[in-house]
Amino acid sequence: MRMNKWISMLCAVSLLALLLAGCGGNGADEKNGGNGDKVSITIWHNWTGQDAKAVAMRQIIEDFQADNPDIEVIDEGIPTDGLKTRLRTVAAADEMPDLFVMWPDAMTKEFVKGGLLQPINDELDAKPEWKNNFIPNALDGYTVDGNIYSVPMNLAPSSFIYYNDALFKEHGVKVPETWEELEAAVQTFKEKNVIPIVLGNKANWVAQSTLFSTLADRITGTDWFLKTVEQDGAKFTDPEFVEALTKLKQLGELGAFQEGFNSIDETQMMQLYFQGKAAMVINGGWALANLVNNAPPEVLDNTHITILPAIEGGKGDPGTTAGVVGTGLGVSKKLTGSKKEAAMKLFYEMAGPDGQKATLNSSTLVSYNIELDKSQAHPLFVELYDLMQEVKITPVYDSKLGSAVVEVVNNGLQELLDGGKPEDIAKKIQDAQAAAVAN
Amino acid sequence: MNALRSRRFIWMGLGPTLILYALFVFVPVIWSAYYGFFNWSGIGEAKYIGLGNYAEILRDPVFWRALKNNVIFVAASVFGQVPIALVLAVLLHKSNMLQRFLRSAIFLPMVLSTVVIGMIWQYIYHPQIGILNFLLDALGLGSWKLEWLSDRGIAIYSLIPPLIWSYVGLYLIIFMSALQNIPGEIHDAAKIDGASGGRKLVSILLPMIKNTVQVAVILCISGSLKSFDLVYIMTKGGPAHASELLATYMYNSTFTTYRYGFGSAISTTIMLISLLLIGTSQWLTSRKKDAS
Repeated sequence: MRMNKWISMLCAVSLLALLLAGCGGNGADEKNGGNGDKVSITIWHNWTGQDAKAVAMRQIIEDFQADNPDIEVIDEGIPTDGLKTRLRTVAAADEMPDLFVMWPDAMTKEFVKGGLLQPINDELDAKPEWKNNFIPNALDGYTVDGNIYSVPMNLAPSSFIYYNDALFKEHGVKVPETWEELEAAVQTFKEKNVIPIVLGNKANWVAQSTLFSTLADRITGTDWFLKTVEQDGAKFTDPEFVEALTKLKQLGELGAFQEGFNSIDETQMMQLYFQGKAAMVINGGWALANLVNNAPPEVLDNTHITILPAIEGGKGDPGTTAGVVGTGLGVSKKLTGSKKEAAMKLFYEMAGPDGQKATLNSSTLVSYNIELDKSQAHPLFVELYDLMQEVKITPVYDSKLGSAVVEVVNNGLQELLDGGKPEDIAKKIQDAQAAAVAN
Repeated sequence: MNALRSRRFIWMGLGPTLILYALFVFVPVIWSAYYGFFNWSGIGEAKYIGLGNYAEILRDPVFWRALKNNVIFVAASVFGQVPIALVLAVLLHKSNMLQRFLRSAIFLPMVLSTVVIGMIWQYIYHPQIGILNFLLDALGLGSWKLEWLSDRGIAIYSLIPPLIWSYVGLYLIIFMSALQNIPGEIHDAAKIDGASGGRKLVSILLPMIKNTVQVAVILCISGSLKSFDLVYIMTKGGPAHASELLATYMYNSTFTTYRYGFGSAISTTIMLISLLLIGTSQWLTSRKKDAS
């Protein structure tokens, strides 16, 4: 009897031990890199889809693995939103992967401040033909206090008008070059029961990133925005910003967007455009791959690209569009020795000249000087590429403002388009930014 | 000796679970409450700010709207799900073909993932291709058409039908099993006394399953306080925070704006509110028992 009790106690304890071991066990061998002199590096990325870019990037990793049998690449693909959240989570626990896709400006700054990244100045300086081929200001978003922490692997202008030329011709509408022409076009389409501009603003960044960032820049000018971000002599309650909000509100009141735009998402927005129900959709350069892959031919063949029209009296340069230099790879601070060497080798494969070329060939713009092989590319991408040779990039709101303020801006725009008052919303944004700068 | 041994055995049996529970529930809750006192973005230095986060929560109009929406959700569940399920249980507790079919149909949403339910209802409410507005048009009620999910005034109410629809099945099953547990003799006795129909329902069946109803109400309250997924999928708490619940408010603060400290303070606040509500309901029921 006594014996029995001890046995059952033993069972219970060992069971518990097993359970607990199961919880904390894995991960240990991931870090030490496994057997012998084989080096293993981890990379987290968001190339999970079947679009040309994702396929091309995964191919680079595969080729790298095949060419370097002494290096083991453990890659993990996580869709964009999830990746951002997971990076924050591991950042809080100080357990960054060796290499990871990260965003310029706000995110890079925060990670540097948290002491999670190491600069790559030495690697860049060792290969000047690589460093000097990036387009002007391409490295700014990855530069903190003179140290460069990554290089952009693509270019993401966030604001183009994709328009269905067949619908414009059918209703005798001119492709708008001024704001008045845009408003006239909206009215005509509205009368003909065509959605003038389809918008899907449920995930509330869409209106801000694809439309408002450019619209506001046209009116306020870039200098004003950059000064306001620093809260240096300019405020979001300034009349020019209120005017920008008012302009957007008026566009909404004119019936530019279809009913219920705050309840459908970006995917559904593109669906409505694909169905030929909308004359225009305003979206980033990233929408092009989706269009080319998924739009039916009668829509795709009639689709062309332009930028938002000029606004008379605005302080901004009309030949611009909002955008960010694209994502880069962050290098964990903890990397040293042979692991760092291996990681930097992969870094160069992905973000160096060959990687940039592969990216461009997968119908994705790059922040790097190389010629597009126009015979291989889709005509719509050639159109975008040519357009971008003349168009300059201005900041997107969500890349320059901290995440808490961005959330206020995004929600403010939803409210604005649902009858909110420009002055009130400007004040909310100003309060949030003032608080963020004070911290 | 025997009592001592059995007590020891009880502790041994409970021990592992208690330890696991403490490790994975108590410890995180306490950590979270601790983080609530800091201004922390998840990365880098955390700055101690005392009750600053809590003061900000109480001043934040979004918090009060979320709380109000949560109260609406609790009320809709308690006064929607429970009575509907009760009526259905009484109507459907026989077993012919039609009733069996209806029962399965009502239970069906329970086996669907919330994501699927959210997607289905999103398409029902869709402003362009949604079946609801289409039906209203077809019935000549075009003037009743609304922007169900994107009008800030009604978004939260539009979320109530899917909420009720998706959980009614659960309570239906609970109530049906309670009704079936009523012994046959009581039915016979009722028949002898000449009680049938409404009279039997009010005087016999309902009092017999009163305890089950109480449990269902508590499940309902705690379930709808925790609501998150349906709202997050259908509106993400928007437009402009109009359909924010406490849980989505917490999630958005923590993972969209990366304010871990503030988010932790919200979690702690939610926990305090839940404790308060559960405490109150416990107190109310126990007081009733003492009185009777």
